[in-house]
Amino acid sequence: MRHLFWIVGLLIVTAGVAGAQNPSYYIRWVNYTRANGFPPGEVYCVTVDGNRVWAGTGHGLVLLEDGRVKKIFTTKDGLPGMAVMSVAVDKQTGAVWIGTFGGLSRYSGGQFTSYTNLSSGLANDLVYGVAMQGRYVWVATTAGVNRLDPYTGTWEIFNESNAPFEEPWAYGISVGAEKVYFAVWGGGVLSYDLANHYWKPYTDPDGEMELVLYRNQGLIHNIVSSVSWNPDTKTFWASTYFGLSSYDGRNWHNYLKKDSGLPSNFINAVQSRGDEVWACTQKGLSELNTKTNTWVTYRPDAKSGRGDILVSRADGSKHQMDSATTLAHNYILNLDFQGDDIWVATANGLSHGMRQTAKQSLPTQRDKPAPNGDREK
Amino acid sequence: MRTPFANSAIRGTQRTQFYLSVADLFVVSVLMLLWQPGVAAALQRRDSDAGNTLPRSKYLSPVAMQLSPDGRWLYIACEDSDQVLAVDARTQQVTRRLRVGQMPRGIALSPDGNTLYVSNENSDDVTEIDAQTFQTRQTVPVGWGPVGLTTDRSGKILYVANTLGDDISVVNLQTGRELKRLQAGHYPEYVALSRDGSRVYVANLLARIASADEPPVSELTIIDTKSETVAARVNVPGVIQMRHIAELPASAGGYLLIPFMRPKNLNPLVQIQQGWYLTHGMAVIRPAANAADGPGKYHVAEVLLDDIDRYYADGFGVAVTPNGRWALVTASGANVVSVINTAKLRRLLLSQPPARQQELANRLDAASHFVAERLPVGRNPTDIVTSSDGRFAYIADRMDDTVSVVDMETMQVASTIDLGGPKEISRQRSGERLFFDASHCYQGQMACATCHPHEGLSDGLAWSLETPQLGRDVVENRTLFSIDGTSPFKWNGKNPNLQTQDGPRTAMYIFRSQGFSSTEVNDLVTYLLALRLPRNPHLAANGQLTDAQARGREIFFRDKTMDGKLIPPLDRCYTCHSPLTHYTSRVSMDVGTATPDDTIQAFDVPQLEGVATRPPYLHNGEALELEDIWTKFNPDDKHGITSDLNKAQLNDLIEFLKIL
Repeated sequence: MRHLFWIVGLLIVTAGVAGAQNPSYYIRWVNYTRANGFPPGEVYCVTVDGNRVWAGTGHGLVLLEDGRVKKIFTTKDGLPGMAVMSVAVDKQTGAVWIGTFGGLSRYSGGQFTSYTNLSSGLANDLVYGVAMQGRYVWVATTAGVNRLDPYTGTWEIFNESNAPFEEPWAYGISVGAEKVYFAVWGGGVLSYDLANHYWKPYTDPDGEMELVLYRNQGLIHNIVSSVSWNPDTKTFWASTYFGLSSYDGRNWHNYLKKDSGLPSNFINAVQSRGDEVWACTQKGLSELNTKTNTWVTYRPDAKSGRGDILVSRADGSKHQMDSATTLAHNYILNLDFQGDDIWVATANGLSHGMRQTAKQSLPTQRDKPAPNGDREK
Repeated sequence: MRTPFANSAIRGTQRTQFYLSVADLFVVSVLMLLWQPGVAAALQRRDSDAGNTLPRSKYLSPVAMQLSPDGRWLYIACEDSDQVLAVDARTQQVTRRLRVGQMPRGIALSPDGNTLYVSNENSDDVTEIDAQTFQTRQTVPVGWGPVGLTTDRSGKILYVANTLGDDISVVNLQTGRELKRLQAGHYPEYVALSRDGSRVYVANLLARIASADEPPVSELTIIDTKSETVAARVNVPGVIQMRHIAELPASAGGYLLIPFMRPKNLNPLVQIQQGWYLTHGMAVIRPAANAADGPGKYHVAEVLLDDIDRYYADGFGVAVTPNGRWALVTASGANVVSVINTAKLRRLLLSQPPARQQELANRLDAASHFVAERLPVGRNPTDIVTSSDGRFAYIADRMDDTVSVVDMETMQVASTIDLGGPKEISRQRSGERLFFDASHCYQGQMACATCHPHEGLSDGLAWSLETPQLGRDVVENRTLFSIDGTSPFKWNGKNPNLQTQDGPRTAMYIFRSQGFSSTEVNDLVTYLLALRLPRNPHLAANGQLTDAQARGREIFFRDKTMDGKLIPPLDRCYTCHSPLTHYTSRVSMDVGTATPDDTIQAFDVPQLEGVATRPPYLHNGEALELEDIWTKFNPDDKHGITSDLNKAQLNDLIEFLKIL
């Protein structure tokens, strides 16, 4: 019996070591593009809702169930606009809120109800972001931010007249337990304190200069494309067109291509959970593990059609691998999580990434040091 | 030159001249105010003379019922007395009475039969009652204007349809707290739990707000009880006023039966003389049998319960016998229960090729195929329940304060249970009875309540009332709530008082019948003037305005534009919508909303009280939301100067209007 105990213990330890030696990567990809009936061109947003995935494209809203395209909704179905920029699911009611370039829409019970600038309190029909906060619906538009109370039908507008918006052009929204964060194009990040009803701006001290003037200076740039509140680390992450920033309530950290694993400073979106931070850049998808300070960047190799995986570790070492399948495009616009899987919106279709350990699934990998670090495509 | 006030239509070209007579407007408003109490006093004197001064609260008005699982107790919600009654079904005596909240309109029973839940429409809550002790356990706040309610199969979750909120409260009965609200259609009123417990069905009284020149489309909202989310929104085309819901057992087809009214509101009303103008029937709905149709798909058929020369107005309650053989539908305007042979109904539906099923919705000869009996019952029958053995059906006769008991073996009313309401009928009660009674209309096609459901609500439809020409002079229905002091009436302002509105003109142009006697007209007017808006849920209980409401009030009462220019008095909100007279100036105004299809250019200024609850807007209903009034239909600032307002300011103005 004692021998059995030691054998089991040894197996567990061995398995743990083996797992640590074989980190997992997103090396299995399924793509949804024009080739297999998906709308052509850009996928602007992706939102996971259980086994359902909502993808916003320039040609309507796509609903996937269990990995299969179930329906493509267009203006003929009641969408107020063909270009779908954001989707939020109300977990309480099951309603799906959709931001389009023709207004806001609610999809519930198979029917769309639309809200436009002319027929509702919506600030503007160009809706970039939408998010649920309890019963409230927050909407980011080019003319400020709305908060809709569906119980009363009350629309509030927040813009430069009643909040510290340097620009009213709001892009993205991320909801925390105590605050709601907004990505503002040219206006940095704004937070709204839910309990005390006050706004606070976070901006770049040097305006729109693409510089980090000093340590802990603040936001890297005021042109913020998205924001993501991480409840696990109590940090918000902001993606800009000139780098990535984070703020944990005390300290700022800025990440640039030159001193991180980012493939580009032009970042369309950021998502963060646990120790993971995902940056959707114009030259691939990057994951930062904040615990190990390891970057992994995924992008398709235009020549081979295979996947290029670049690992940049905290000690400066870099390793490059490839995979048989890869992202649909290297211009990444958005991302969402489905358990351990990721769904990625690209400039040419939607990609579903599945994580596998390297040795299990990379028989053709070239695990070798990358020449001089990063490779530009 | 002054515009003669007697010719109160003010055309756009005369606006400048009228500018000078705004003082007259104020004087007349004040006179009107002084005059109204005089009228009320006169009416009251007449009441006193007749010895009929009973307040409405003395009457019971049974409107919703539940039968205990053992069939022993009949529980009845009485909307006027704010009571729930327990009636011993054996002795047919009222044994217990319990006061609940204001205007109880719905009642539900827990699956074990031990707990009653009563929705109180005017106090926005649900009273939980121990069915054994008949004591209140707790009162649970829910949404606005709760009516229909049901528990789920476990008895742990309560679903409540909130009429004014257009939503459904989902309540955790163990904590007594509302978990969430699900968006319904328009004015959700009654609900039912499916036989298998997987769904809650919600019938919406009013059609979706949509273009006035399209037939209405109503919604059956279907909730998945597992996820407590909306699973489907089923379109029921061409109808409004869906009421109670009954589900036939699977052996009888498993159909949902929902009474409705099917209006031909876009046809000129003169057509009522040819019949088939307002028809009454029921939706027959079942889940799609074909898996290819997908989950959440439902087949919707519609059948009329009217006969060719006799109508059974204002279907309200529906129940089925336990074996599913019979379905019973109350016609609340005809004082009749129609008994439906469901096997024949099913045969009729199945015999129709799909292409012809839609025809059924308009066929007045269909009912003869499946209606077995027409049973006369008490006045204004509303809810109906059947006993678990199928022997009896109980019908709440709202305007008689009685319950009719139908013996299903003999198919006759076996007895009538007197619930103990006053025997003295006040003028107001008499008027209320008339309001619900369709017998005054040609062939019984409609009562006042047909187009003003839920006791005075606008039905949200535009009607071709004025001329016999198709498509001309179509006007939006108007509310009857709090109209005291808002004369003249009609969109053209031609009726100086309600006696004119409801007297010979109604007989001649609407009912196409002998109409009401002068006494009846006065009774009806007494009732109408007593109709009041419920508490406005947009306004805080303490009257404190939100910041947005306060800013909106400033805009409503402003006399300068945002850049400081003086706004001419006639272009200010409060001039035409004077708070002194219910936010109407009681004259007709041309605000630039007339279309080529309108004969007149100036329309009676509507009162604004309760405006948020009665879309669509403008005389022809083409403004579907309040925003539309200014964003789409006020391009030249003829409907007040509003073009200087930015979007946030317009939102504020609307927030203020919502509290009126």
